[in-house]
Amino acid sequence: MTTTRDSEAMIRLEDLTKVFPGQKQPAVDHLTMEIPEGEIVVLVGPSGCGKTTTMKLINRIIEPTSGRIFIAGEDVTKKNPDQLRRGIGYVIQQIGLFPHMTIRENIATVPKMLKWPRERIDARVDELLETVGLDPARYRDRYPKELSGGQRQRVGVARALSADPPVMLMDEPFGAIDPITRERLQNEFLRVQEEIRKTIVFVTHDIDEAIKMGDRIAIMRSNSHIAQYDTPEAILSSPADDFVSDFIGSGASLKRLGLATVRDYELSDWPIARVGEDLAVLRQRLRESDERTLLLLDDENRPLRWLTAKELERDDVELGSAGLEVRARVEPTASLADALNEIVASRVGCAVVVDKRGAYLGIVDMTLIMTAAEEMRRVARERLRELAERGEVEPEEVSTP
Amino acid sequence: MNLFDYLVDNWRTVLDLTIEHALIVLASVAVATAIGVGLAIAVYRHRTARELVLRATGLILTVPSLAMYAVLITIPALGIGATSVLVALSLYALMPIVRNTVTGLRGVDPSIVEAAQGMGMGRWQRLWRIEMPLAWPVVMTGIRVSLLLIVGIAALGSIINGPGLGELIFRGLSGAGRPFALPIALAGFFGVIVLAALLDAVFGLFARLTTSRGLR
Repeated sequence: MTTTRDSEAMIRLEDLTKVFPGQKQPAVDHLTMEIPEGEIVVLVGPSGCGKTTTMKLINRIIEPTSGRIFIAGEDVTKKNPDQLRRGIGYVIQQIGLFPHMTIRENIATVPKMLKWPRERIDARVDELLETVGLDPARYRDRYPKELSGGQRQRVGVARALSADPPVMLMDEPFGAIDPITRERLQNEFLRVQEEIRKTIVFVTHDIDEAIKMGDRIAIMRSNSHIAQYDTPEAILSSPADDFVSDFIGSGASLKRLGLATVRDYELSDWPIARVGEDLAVLRQRLRESDERTLLLLDDENRPLRWLTAKELERDDVELGSAGLEVRARVEPTASLADALNEIVASRVGCAVVVDKRGAYLGIVDMTLIMTAAEEMRRVARERLRELAERGEVEPEEVSTP
Repeated sequence: MNLFDYLVDNWRTVLDLTIEHALIVLASVAVATAIGVGLAIAVYRHRTARELVLRATGLILTVPSLAMYAVLITIPALGIGATSVLVALSLYALMPIVRNTVTGLRGVDPSIVEAAQGMGMGRWQRLWRIEMPLAWPVVMTGIRVSLLLIVGIAALGSIINGPGLGELIFRGLSGAGRPFALPIALAGFFGVIVLAALLDAVFGLFARLTTSRGLR
């Protein structure tokens, strides 16, 4: 099995087994796994694979049959479970806000148990509401039933963060929310995580959510056996076996392009025209280039039009309205999948990369996408070879990708 | 003589009896609440114990008051009078309280309890801070049903010299056919109804005030 060696493990599960009474098969079978500090590790797998059980073993909502749990180096297997849980944020799919308490009282639950002074609790509640994007003055004294599903989920996250626990467990936290709100909450949560850098164990059955949220993904099959534990990029590029490939499903290459951003690649150049340049110069420039069009930029380097030789032939051509309008624009932070989408939609076959102010930076075309995909395959092959040398996967799998 | 004349002449007696009646009812329901809620908390998680307690408290209600008193007065510590009445009424009041408390506690959304557990609340903290407040409206309804039930049953306590409006009813009953009998019986009859309505209204208000705004 793959364990991480590059950063400090915040959570370590050691030979963890759970057998429910009356069941022959263990729900979790001799699981050993390390979760690095400050990362989101997603446990993903088909329903019934034991991922939720595994998560609940960590805060001992379910007590392990055997094995040990370490958090920040401390063996917490025998620690007082209530003490343990006050130091671990817990978010569940049903959210579980206390309906008889105000938002303030909900968020203050753990700090109160920890006997924080009142002023500190009040300040913390307001701070957390701000963090999750809810106006404290407006929402502090409301009851859960007065909030929308998305707002309740935000409060659930704020409540889990209340005592600033180093570790958070999230069980399908966005599962019961409509797709549009879910996407927004996912993005917001990733933004919050950028700042708070918690160690998070995140359970989902949705591989796309796993790819989006995870710094690392553990793909689980039955009895919590880990099929593969690696970064999303590595899992998409080099699935360890057929189970993993099947689970990722079709479109793995597209998903991988969704993880790569435009700024990480060298952009192609394109022959440029500027408003006011001499037509003869432009015709000459187009003839000498390999492309069939020139890209017209305005005074502030913003792309305007695609000009072909045909438009440049006429001496009275009005450059600002000739040819095709530039529609496909992407920013450097866009993913290659976004860029590919623009390319496919554009009539020119490439997307113009512009900075925040809209100024031209370069071009993404199919060649760049294909090169990027080839590069990903090469990295994946090397990685598999490396793993094979360490004896962590069977050598014949190296040829798979 | 009619009811009005009787009340004008005897309002002091009727008021005293009504107050006695209210006190024995409130005392019995208080005892039943303490025992019933405790019993419900003890058994709501265990199927067999729960069924057993619910059945037993239900069966108590089928025992006729006369039979109940016949047995209770033979116990030396109780004897004839208010103590036996208090015990009998408390037993009768158990069933609605136990049943509603069990129903209320079992009706709490398990995910809310799991969230509380995951935040490090112990068994008792969960019960007092989460489960009981959430079950509260249902528990209150049970107590309210008991109150109404007991106001009626308490009238029969006079048969063993217990306190309350039953005295008027029995006097009316024993004098049946004579002119003064009907107004006396009617005073007892309406006294019980008015008292029941009053207690119900006051308790309804109390239940409302003690239920979180988030649950209303």
